[in-house]
Amino acid sequence: MSGFATLAPPYSMPSASHGDAELSSSSAQARSRALNGFLAGIELKAFKIAQAALRHQDDALDAVQDAMLQLARAYSDRPAEEWKPLFYRILENRIRDMQRRRTVRGRVLAWLPFRGEDDDEEVDPIAQAPSDEPSPGRRLEIDEAMQALDKALESLPRRQQQAFMLRNLEGMDVAQTAVAMGCSEGSVKTHYFRALQTLRAQLGDFQT
Amino acid sequence: MSPQDDRLVKFEDQARAVLTESVTRIDSRVRSRLNQARQAALAEVARPSRRPRFFLVPAAGAVAAAALVAMLLWQHGPHTPSVLPVSEGGQVQAEDLDLIADSDGLDMLQDSDGAFYEWAAAQADAGAETSS
Repeated sequence: MSGFATLAPPYSMPSASHGDAELSSSSAQARSRALNGFLAGIELKAFKIAQAALRHQDDALDAVQDAMLQLARAYSDRPAEEWKPLFYRILENRIRDMQRRRTVRGRVLAWLPFRGEDDDEEVDPIAQAPSDEPSPGRRLEIDEAMQALDKALESLPRRQQQAFMLRNLEGMDVAQTAVAMGCSEGSVKTHYFRALQTLRAQLGDFQT
Repeated sequence: MSPQDDRLVKFEDQARAVLTESVTRIDSRVRSRLNQARQAALAEVARPSRRPRFFLVPAAGAVAAAALVAMLLWQHGPHTPSVLPVSEGGQVQAEDLDLIADSDGLDMLQDSDGAFYEWAAAQADAGAETSS
């Protein structure tokens, strides 16, 4: 009898299984919509953070793309509130891999007698056009402030830069930042405070 | 809040404003590529699961167990001679001993029939003494 108990009846509950399929499909669609909204909401900031770390537009794009794919593959079924720290954790790992590879490549290229220009890609002036058009005076002020901040950010140690970007630009709290950085909350506070002090010492009270 | 802290908070706000403004100025090429990357990630979610089908594991285990049982039954089945053929004079035939002494027979010795083969060897020795 136990053998019968383990066998699934072949024609039982067709309507229920059909309903389950519909539920599963609608659930997958809802999850896909939620993930789309999440990624659309963070992609620009993520790119900015990756660009600050890698200082190269295409590398930053590759890093963000890889992080998006890995989040979708491995963690899309996790609760949505976990996505942000997980995404930035993945992105940070990707950035670190790229920095390591770049360091190795730099060492190898340093031994080569002849090498071409690294960045021979043509710049599309239309694509480079800014999306907003503030007044020329205001634009100049913002440009100067951005350049100064970018330069100051580049001079920060990597962990301080990471803590500053995640907390200040992305608006993550200390706990989320700790997950994304893979360190304790105390370390996040220390890195962030040191970054803030260094930046302010370099930039002063810059006007925006 | 001390004046020092106050200045830091003000600096934080200014830096946030600059960074946020720089994000809004990201060009259309980058925006387009980010959009493509997002669509690729979403397509990954929509793709059917590539996880291993764990429900097949019990079935595979059952098949393996059935094969093992069948092999054991075949080895210890009724066609296996339970008594070593003995000649009319009570002697174990030489070819039977050869069968026992070959490598397959040694394997069989490991299967709890050792007492029987000892008895068979003793019979063979006794037969040899009688004939000499």
